[in-house]
Amino acid sequence: MRKGSLVFCTFLIAIAAYAIFAATGWSFKTKLFPLAVSIPLITLLVIQLLLMIGGKEQTGESATMDIDFSIEVPSEVARRRVFGIFGWIVGFIALVYLLGFPLTVPLFIFLYLKFQSNIGWLSTIAITVVTWGCFYLLFQSLVHIQFEAGVIQTWLGM
Amino acid sequence: MFDAFIEGLILVLQWKAFSLMLVGMALGFCVGLLPGIGGAATLALMIPFIFKMSPAEAFAFLLGMHSVAATTGDITSVLFGVPGEAISAATVVDGYPMAKKGEAGRALGAALMSSLLGALIGAVALALAVPIVRPLVLTFGSPELFMLSLVGISCITSLSGTTTRGQIKGFAMGLFGLLISTIGQERQSGSLRFDLGMMYLWDGLDFVPVLVGIFAIPEIIDLAVRGTSIAGDRPPENLSSGVMEGVKDTFRHFWLVFRCSIIGVFVGIMPGAGGGVAQWMAYAHAVQSATDSKERGGFGKGDIRGVLGPGAANNSKEGGELIPTVAFGVPGSGAMAILLSGFLIMGIMPGPEMLTKHLSLTFSMVWTLAIANVITVILSLTILDQLAKLTYIRGGLIIPFILLLVFVGSYTANGQIADLIVTLIFGVLSYFMVLFGWPRPPFVLGFVLGKVIETYLFISMTRYGFSWLTHPIVVALMILMVVVIAYPYIQQRRQRLREPAHA
Repeated sequence: MRKGSLVFCTFLIAIAAYAIFAATGWSFKTKLFPLAVSIPLITLLVIQLLLMIGGKEQTGESATMDIDFSIEVPSEVARRRVFGIFGWIVGFIALVYLLGFPLTVPLFIFLYLKFQSNIGWLSTIAITVVTWGCFYLLFQSLVHIQFEAGVIQTWLGM
Repeated sequence: MFDAFIEGLILVLQWKAFSLMLVGMALGFCVGLLPGIGGAATLALMIPFIFKMSPAEAFAFLLGMHSVAATTGDITSVLFGVPGEAISAATVVDGYPMAKKGEAGRALGAALMSSLLGALIGAVALALAVPIVRPLVLTFGSPELFMLSLVGISCITSLSGTTTRGQIKGFAMGLFGLLISTIGQERQSGSLRFDLGMMYLWDGLDFVPVLVGIFAIPEIIDLAVRGTSIAGDRPPENLSSGVMEGVKDTFRHFWLVFRCSIIGVFVGIMPGAGGGVAQWMAYAHAVQSATDSKERGGFGKGDIRGVLGPGAANNSKEGGELIPTVAFGVPGSGAMAILLSGFLIMGIMPGPEMLTKHLSLTFSMVWTLAIANVITVILSLTILDQLAKLTYIRGGLIIPFILLLVFVGSYTANGQIADLIVTLIFGVLSYFMVLFGWPRPPFVLGFVLGKVIETYLFISMTRYGFSWLTHPIVVALMILMVVVIAYPYIQQRRQRLREPAHA
């Protein structure tokens, strides 16, 4: 966890450093605010990094006013599940890119319920059909959101 | 004056105006529940429908819709950790942990009842303040609004940790949010900043994909990791009594709700500050109401006061925003700017005439705000039991639907696949922020306020040079900011001094 915190802090420092580097070439008006923000930001981050390297974990250092992740699940299982859910999220976005929203919605619901949640065939099909119906009715018929076609449809000229 | 007040009520209660208000409320209810489709966007979509309405009917329809969207936006924030509206984001911080503790009914009851009280206080403020608010609005120029925004950020960052290191993280996150807000075209010169050669970034990052990613993705990951329902394996709460408990909580903490409502009204009056600031300032105030650092540590873990404060401020600011819109034709927010176009369509010029010739119409708005919220809260309270049961559905069943809600919501911001990628990127960033204890609220507030702060800073520097730093209100706000930053230390010190005395 400590190593991860250091890497995350270093990552933020890299972003702030990039911001300062990129802003130096801009006109005064353009760079004023980004520099006014990123210089104190990098200063605070470096102080934080040094405190983390030099000191012990401090009680009360963790964020108040924010959630804590659950710790009941063994870390190995938790890590596997985190990668799993990220995989589904990335898969969802990839499907939207390839097939567009209207096709992705039923396909994703079906795949997730069947292969991740292990729901029975009949329930999976019923929930998928109802979800797709609601999606169509709400977002396409009522709100008229224009969903981009997927690259596959575009490629096929559909 | 009293005649106009009653006339305003009669205008709203006429069958056509009342029916249109109910239609608007039904629309607002759905819009509030769906992330991404904001109240302002829906107002814009509904403007073409008001051409054949009378002014009272048009405002009953538009305001009924707008005020309800702010109320129901809290429902998805509590149930799934997905803000239904950008202005409902602060409710997630304590509302969702309550749902995870099996107290969704209580959180929803508190959110709705505090919203109702907030809306009523906002409506009363609108009725009372119109004649006297002019000097206040005119006193606040760009330098004062710039400092007010900084005070807002300071409130939230100074409360981000119970130690110096925790506070460094809070301030760093606030600055990081401000930095992210600078992505895109600089408004004054038109130069591009941090656009990475992508046209998508020219307009900067939209609030919805970022906020949804920041708040929803870590919650979804946590739900997937736990492999249980949102409420976990806890025995179901007695939902009806849970909702009633939340309603009672609102009255137990009545003065907090009242103070947060006043914060909402005040921020609403200030043009440009908006709901994003009101909810977080109210949240910060709720955190400050904690008596010691231990109690403060409970915020973010499911403290009812963290739900009550933002809930009240979100709705009271509607009344506040209407004050400059109606009285001077200066819209307090994007939604109010759209409403202003509604005034012009109706052939009404906001300004002194709203306090003389059209006073009954002004009061009809006050009544619409009050009646629409009362009806919504009563109706919602009857279905909250059923809504709260959603938190007991197993995670594997509900996750794909939350993901759908999240990504369709973020897609509606610009209608581009890139919105989904932005949601994912900020979701990953937010996951690590939570994992390593970097607070998200300061980041969100910095991001929401960044563009406004930069514009106010630019105008202040161009108009006054550095002399604006000596304006009396600016100096007063600077002192307030120092007090706000120092407050947690003073509180800690007092507590340390008190402890040996008790020992």
